[in-house]
Amino acid sequence: MDAAVATPPRTASPAVAGEAGIRVRDVAKTFGGASGVRALERVDFSIPRGQFVSILGPSGCGKSTLLRIIAGLIPPDAGGEVEILGRRQQGVSPEIGVVFQSHNMLPWCTTEQNIRLAAEVQGLAPAEIDKRVNDILPVLKLEKFRRSYPHELSGGMRQRAALGQMLVLQPQVLLLDEPFGALDALTRDQLNVELLRLWQLMRKTVLLITHSIPEAIFLSDRVLVMSERPGHVLDDITIDLPRPRDPRAAKLAPEFGRYVVQLGRLMGVED
Amino acid sequence: MTAVDRNARWRQFVDPAILFVILAILWEKAVDVFHIKPYLLPPLSKVVTAFWDTRATLLAESWVTVQEVVAGFFLAVVGGIVLGFVLHAIPPVRRALYPVIVIFQGLPKIALAPLMIVWFGYGITSKVLMAFLFAFFPVVISTMGGLASTPSHLIEHFKAIRATPWTTFRRLHVPAALPSILDGCRTAMPLAVIGAIVGEFVGAERGLGHLILEANANGRTDLLFAALVAVSIVAGILYFLVELAARRVWWRAL
Ligand SMILES: Nc1ncnc2c1ncn2[C@@H]1O[C@H](COP(=O)(O)OP(=O)(O)OP(=O)(O)O)[C@@H](O)[C@H]1O
Ligand SMILES: [Mg+2]
Repeated sequence: MDAAVATPPRTASPAVAGEAGIRVRDVAKTFGGASGVRALERVDFSIPRGQFVSILGPSGCGKSTLLRIIAGLIPPDAGGEVEILGRRQQGVSPEIGVVFQSHNMLPWCTTEQNIRLAAEVQGLAPAEIDKRVNDILPVLKLEKFRRSYPHELSGGMRQRAALGQMLVLQPQVLLLDEPFGALDALTRDQLNVELLRLWQLMRKTVLLITHSIPEAIFLSDRVLVMSERPGHVLDDITIDLPRPRDPRAAKLAPEFGRYVVQLGRLMGVED
Repeated sequence: MTAVDRNARWRQFVDPAILFVILAILWEKAVDVFHIKPYLLPPLSKVVTAFWDTRATLLAESWVTVQEVVAGFFLAVVGGIVLGFVLHAIPPVRRALYPVIVIFQGLPKIALAPLMIVWFGYGITSKVLMAFLFAFFPVVISTMGGLASTPSHLIEHFKAIRATPWTTFRRLHVPAALPSILDGCRTAMPLAVIGAIVGEFVGAERGLGHLILEANANGRTDLLFAALVAVSIVAGILYFLVELAARRVWWRAL
């Protein structure tokens, strides 16, 4: 497989002991001073290296805010802190790759130019960037569209390109904010399978935000459920399903159904 | 290209041409039928003759006006973009200077023409400055608008990939602002023409504006019309050049 995305593949359970990939301690966030909007309240969790964790929560509960804090784009309120791979987060750390809710492509750049951007900004050698891009494009099935502009791509292609924009820096920790949010169920399933395949190859630490209960169960080792605003972690459910997972087989398994019911109750969705 | 496309393209030129011919015939006939005095409205044929007979003068005077317009426009675009960027990037400067700019923009620039002549004389400089004054503010405002409309999620993306302010400026802010800046330039070009002509009206020895005044004073209405035709040709060509540049910023249309 490709050097850009591959570290030695492993098949064992991904929960790796040792230092945490992401550690969030007592993170709170209030926007606009003391009388402002309290978005997050004492969020506290830890994700071991190599684990795939999803966050489920109602709209407006502070999921994107939490992701921005973990990414180092905005600071938490005093008293809270974030550690990435054992190091305290101050500003944006190079180990992190983020895909935001709204896609990040520059309209005036082609797919390839967009994917190169982050690497060029970091001053990587052009030959190295070429190599990485040539590895990434086939994995994302975007080879034929490397010279297309964002407005010439489908929604699913744009979201795959957004993954490529992040992967080119080969980050150790991936933060994904509803990367497949605006897609139909079928395309979404396909991209989920691809995302899982990528993760199985790379074994990076992944934190994924989603609204979809089945998506969270299908992808994750653990699912964190957040409360209404001000958001905090209500529950932490370990998803004990065998890997590798196949979308149809996994969703037919009785355990899968039980997880759906359990998470649905926690989120206040009646079944 | 389909037959329909080709037809549409063809019609794009033919339709205005037909209208033009109809208006020309009406003009020629109306002067005849209603016995309009030639010093009020000469027949089209006399305007065409005057245009042809004085073609050397028209070309020479047009060239003077073109230089004034282009120099003033160029200064306005460069100065306007620089000032727009400075105002966007440095909030204290923006707070201090923005009200002044708004007041200046409200001022009728025509009223400044006599002052420009007094300060800079009858030569080309005062006209360049008039063209500049007319064209400058739209460029400043559109530059600021373009910069302010850079999508915030892209700004955040550049932060997330740890781009330096300079890289962010060059690879995000400039291309994001370009469509708006070029819209500002398209507004500015006809204004620069107006500025130069107004300057020539108030005090000049050369240029199309001067020629118009001179033709008027000598009762040569046919020459006056010929000069007006020259002005519109000059303005049309200059505008078309800006439009060509604007088309290169294709993501404007997205
Ligand atoms: N920059 C900001 N300034 C002020 N308030 C903000 C800001 N960003 C977010 N908020 C507020 O914080 C709260 C949480 O927003 P956030 O975007 O984190 O929600 P979310 O859980 O990601 O929602 P969704 O699922 O709809 O994306 C909202 O009430 C929002 O209005
Ligand atoms: Mg969100």
